[in-house]
Amino acid sequence: MAAVQDGQLNLEVEKDIKTEITNDGSGNINANSSSPGSTSSGGKSKSPAGSGEDQQTLLAVLQFLKRNKLTESVDILRREAGLSADADDSPVSESAGAGSGGVPSVGADGGDANSLLSRVSIATPVAPPATAPPKVVAASGGEDQPDVNVVLSAYSQQGDPVLYPLYYNGLKKFIESVLDCHRAELSQVFYPLFVHMYLELVYNNHENEAKQFFEKFSGDQECYYEEDLRILSSMSKKEHMKGNETMLDFRTSKFVLRISRDSYQLLKRHLQERQNNQIWNIIQEHLYIDIFDGMPRSKSQIDAMSGSLAGEGKRDANKAKVFYGLLKEPEIEVPLDDEDEEAENEEGKPKKKKPKKDSMGSKSKKQDPNAPQQTRIPLPELKDSDKLDKIMNMKEATKKIRLGPDNLPSICFYSFLNAYQGLTAVDFTDDSSLIAGGFADSTVRVWSVTPKKLRRVKSAADLSNIDKESDDVLERIMDEKTASESKILYGHSGPVYGISFSPDRNYLLSSSEDGTVRLWSLQTFTCLVGYKGHNYPVWDTQFSPYGYYFISGGHDRVARLWATDHYQPLRMFAGHLADITCTLFHPNSNYVATGSADRTIRLWDVLTGNCVRILTGHKGPIHSLAFSPNGKFMASGATDGRVLLWDVGHGLMVGELKGHTDTIYALKFSRDGEILASGSMDNTVKLWDTLKAFDDVELDDFTAATGHIHLPENSQELLLGTYMTKSTPVIHLHFTRRNLLLAAGAYNP
Amino acid sequence: MRGKGTNVKMATPKTVPKDAQVMIQILKDMGITEYEPRVINQMLEFTYRYVTTIIEDAKIYATHAKKNNVDADDIRLAIQSRMDQSFTSPPPRDFLLEVARQKNQTPLPLIKPYTGPRLPPDRYCLTAPNYRLKSIQKKMSSSAGRITVPRLSVAAVSSRSSTPTFGTPSVQSVTTKVGTQMSLSGQRFTVQIPSSQTAASKSSTPSTPTVQNVLINPSLIGSKNILITTNMVSQNLASESLKRKHEDDDYDAL
Repeated sequence: MAAVQDGQLNLEVEKDIKTEITNDGSGNINANSSSPGSTSSGGKSKSPAGSGEDQQTLLAVLQFLKRNKLTESVDILRREAGLSADADDSPVSESAGAGSGGVPSVGADGGDANSLLSRVSIATPVAPPATAPPKVVAASGGEDQPDVNVVLSAYSQQGDPVLYPLYYNGLKKFIESVLDCHRAELSQVFYPLFVHMYLELVYNNHENEAKQFFEKFSGDQECYYEEDLRILSSMSKKEHMKGNETMLDFRTSKFVLRISRDSYQLLKRHLQERQNNQIWNIIQEHLYIDIFDGMPRSKSQIDAMSGSLAGEGKRDANKAKVFYGLLKEPEIEVPLDDEDEEAENEEGKPKKKKPKKDSMGSKSKKQDPNAPQQTRIPLPELKDSDKLDKIMNMKEATKKIRLGPDNLPSICFYSFLNAYQGLTAVDFTDDSSLIAGGFADSTVRVWSVTPKKLRRVKSAADLSNIDKESDDVLERIMDEKTASESKILYGHSGPVYGISFSPDRNYLLSSSEDGTVRLWSLQTFTCLVGYKGHNYPVWDTQFSPYGYYFISGGHDRVARLWATDHYQPLRMFAGHLADITCTLFHPNSNYVATGSADRTIRLWDVLTGNCVRILTGHKGPIHSLAFSPNGKFMASGATDGRVLLWDVGHGLMVGELKGHTDTIYALKFSRDGEILASGSMDNTVKLWDTLKAFDDVELDDFTAATGHIHLPENSQELLLGTYMTKSTPVIHLHFTRRNLLLAAGAYNP
Repeated sequence: MRGKGTNVKMATPKTVPKDAQVMIQILKDMGITEYEPRVINQMLEFTYRYVTTIIEDAKIYATHAKKNNVDADDIRLAIQSRMDQSFTSPPPRDFLLEVARQKNQTPLPLIKPYTGPRLPPDRYCLTAPNYRLKSIQKKMSSSAGRITVPRLSVAAVSSRSSTPTFGTPSVQSVTTKVGTQMSLSGQRFTVQIPSSQTAASKSSTPSTPTVQNVLINPSLIGSKNILITTNMVSQNLASESLKRKHEDDDYDAL
């Protein structure tokens, strides 16, 4: 059972049925009848749009008509639909069977049809009231059928809103009485159940009951859901919900719980008792219970993984193969000069006189099985200037300092003065020669870190005068008169929230609250393109490590992949429940990671646009992501002050680094991946030992299969150093090619 | 969280107006504990403006429906229309999923090699000039030896010291009275003898007004391989008769 799918298909089907029935003259009921089918869960779970369902719908309508003594309409409908008088009774008996038959559908086998059928049959007036009918009515798109609504709700929900606290209490008592080992797992049910029941009440305009329900039970929930509960408490009317997309999505998507089989059996047995049927229906409708075989999890294990808005990731959501290896570096002939005498020669060629080949990636000629094909996604070919850059890169890399627990990097901090809390984004070029800052006054400023000043290219007339054949033509094209330490780029009409340099240092991207992403040329320091697509603030943007592609993510919960020469996005990554706050490319440019305010991190495949990993565990919106240089691991930091380490290949959490006390806005791995640096709003930079953290991980088959791992509480041992700044929150970190750590932040006295 | 302390000075109740007290309470209920004192004023202003707008709109709807009093339906309608207009929210998730599914079906386009800076077609870029140069040729009917100096006076062009060339003009359309050549690099106004044939430039006969389309090779923009082309790439003699009705804007000679 997939959580959210193409509900559109259903809606179309339902629309047809709607119009059909309207034409039958029973204009009143066009709303409710169609809905029992698919929109009972808000239209979000897959529904077999087969004739069986249509039949059920028709019969439901007939029942309703009969109840209200609209006999003529009954006749007309029956005649037109070709039903016989006997057909009416069958759904009733079927419902009883389907009701219990639908029960085992929840779970790993995902029997959508059955559960749906049970819901449909429940919708017929005869069956005991459940949440289906009221939602049926309410979810009919807000059409004004007040009399129908009133009738149906009055009928089917007699006492229902009042009963909700009783149901909840009953469940609570049961779970408290259960064995310890199961209790932790079953307690997971509380939060989603509470939220869904509350939203149900609100959606059906039972404001007072909703408030009472909230007051009574909100205190029981886990502490890390506090923010959500606060938002919920502000929504007491249906209209409030309409404005809040996140809550609407929450209501229509299924919250995923992972429960061991034993605990699940317990729960099921209890809820299938007669008096608990309602809760069972609610659970079936809103929760997706992913069952695994094995030991029930402990509270700490559950706590580590939970916290997101949609529950945890389903087991099969994280099963797709992810090519996390790196792409092969192309072979480049390196001209030898004297400086490289002591450089290592990995190919083992004895003679130094021969030009060395770039041996960074060519250790083995075989394709790394975990690496994607070179041509999996089209990548721009290397230009001559890129090759020169790479050679420069290699030369610098030979001077790289080896970091380790006993050899910590030096940290050079760039403080932005007089920013008045307006610094919203920072980026460094890869060779650390330029810094760009995005500000809340909608400007982008670029500074040169090296003594070399920033120059503009000459105008066309002047360019025609220079000698094109001279060796230093690249210097001559620059206009000396425009040399300055910094340049200001104007163009955005809102605060600039994301900045990214292109790897070849020609372009700069900036994303802003005005919904556009702008591409600036660093040769002329003017704006080249404005990419419009998000109509809402774009919180982050990033260039691909190979250039040409870039991603942006914003308030509209969608991340888009663009290429610089297309004015429309190439890929759209939709699936998050709340804003996307952080976007990052994988080093091999085939995958994109997005962190969101719904507290999950999703990994997307650039080729297909599918979500290949859902990683949960953070308890607050995620603000920083980092991939290790070998592409295998990922680190993420959020407002809860924890850094979580993930194994990308398996989709598992492999480490948790506690220590920061405030939001972590910057994360960076060192050039060889030995050290992870994290910078936070608590004015500190912390260094963590990643070699140790990843060494300790044992991933045997069991953990890979079930997906829960026991995290060692070793944050203290992994912490290599804490460096305080003078009231300057750290918002960006960057390791130079020689493994010097650069940090940036705005001085905030 | 309360331990962190607030920046708000809780004035004694008799000096803080009731609205402000309510706003302070709202902020507290929503869990916001630290805020600058002016935030309350901003929130109150917003509230006042919003409520006034809604009520005014509702009044309009009520009069339109020929009702004497404004009732709840009017308010509801006013709120609804204001929500759709100003406070829009992002599209719902199923819609996004559907759109994404369609978009993701198309394969990634192949990348053409050796194309210089990879930018979208010119009309989607911001590289075109957002101004037009006008120049008036005075007494141009006589021809040959005359040097006419057009003054190109346009507000935006005055940025001579900067080089808007690469950033801005990729297509420049210049209306000239006579095809005087001007260097459209934007920084200097070079004077050229109208009837002379300067190399690589096109001059038209004095009598014919010309519209020139000057194209600067887009590959000039932002790449190290700058092709130095002269800015007069082509001259569009064909459209000469269509334009050039603006006799009135006479600009002085430089």
